[in-house]
Amino acid sequence: MKIPAATLAAFALAAGLAAAAPADEPLEPDRAFQPHARLVAGAHAAGGQERHGIDIDYRIEPGYYLYRSRLRFEVSPPALLIGPPEIPLGVDIDDPYFGKSSIFRDRVTIHLPFMVSMARPGRYRVKITAQGCAEGRICYAPFLQEVVVNIPPGYRVNDALSPRGLPR
Amino acid sequence: MKAGLPLAGVALLAALAGFSLYLAGRHAEPLAIPAGPVDATPAAIQSARFEDGEGASRSLGQFAGKVVVVNFWATWCSPCREEMPGFVKLQSKWEGRGVQFVGLAQDDAAKVAAFGRELGVNYPLWLGGTEVMDFSRRLGNHLGVLPHTVLLDGQGRVLESRIGVYPEAALDARLASATGR
Repeated sequence: MKIPAATLAAFALAAGLAAAAPADEPLEPDRAFQPHARLVAGAHAAGGQERHGIDIDYRIEPGYYLYRSRLRFEVSPPALLIGPPEIPLGVDIDDPYFGKSSIFRDRVTIHLPFMVSMARPGRYRVKITAQGCAEGRICYAPFLQEVVVNIPPGYRVNDALSPRGLPR
Repeated sequence: MKAGLPLAGVALLAALAGFSLYLAGRHAEPLAIPAGPVDATPAAIQSARFEDGEGASRSLGQFAGKVVVVNFWATWCSPCREEMPGFVKLQSKWEGRGVQFVGLAQDDAAKVAAFGRELGVNYPLWLGGTEVMDFSRRLGNHLGVLPHTVLLDGQGRVLESRIGVYPEAALDARLASATGR
């Protein structure tokens, strides 16, 4: 198929104009950093151990990053006890003033392990405090996000996994 | 066939024009972006209270009569730190001509003081809690991002509110028009 030269010219010019447009406005934090929660019930981790808890999957838009050390999680209602978040190592960036910081680009999954053998069925909200930047342009002051996870009736964590002395 | 050659020429020229625009865009400095609508009266802006490095209460009203450049920033925000040396130069240049820069941060006081010393910041760096970002939002920063720079006239009215790195030359020109010099 033959494409008219004038059409090609219009496309080339349009592409150039689009690329030369002024910097776009940064995204809303909820669009730049999109968290999704899912219940992990008995899935096998790499080490062969069963895992019970909530996975927070973050999808991060290209050109944006999250600070690893600034992530905070809180489950409500607090009847559902979670242990310390299991956060992957991330990528180190060297900041001339702060030294090394660990960040996440693209995708990251954070695991919030249950600390009880029985998790009461219901609807739980995970409140997340996060901080991040659009590479070289702006940074987001600490912002709050919230995701919801449903625990179905009859859900039970394997007793053997429940740490001793913790509430059941 | 004969008509094909001029068209091909046009296509080539347009492609070159497009490519050069693309290159110009790639090498442009990061631009500050106009912030959203302001939701604060001049009186509220001038009376909002913050703390200086010694813990004393401060407000922008003390600079009434001057063009005030309010810069919202944080020590952990690298784009903020990139633009601050330019602000230091502009504060020196415009000091005797009715311009006052002020930095506002919701941050750790010790880190702010250390950074101010290291960079030789020649304008006040004030601190606050969550009210700093609330104030920034009311001055148009609906995304809650840093840096955010606001120009006020002598009566505390907002002349300009921008997010992102404010290039030194652009701010210099803006101060010239704001002060009529």
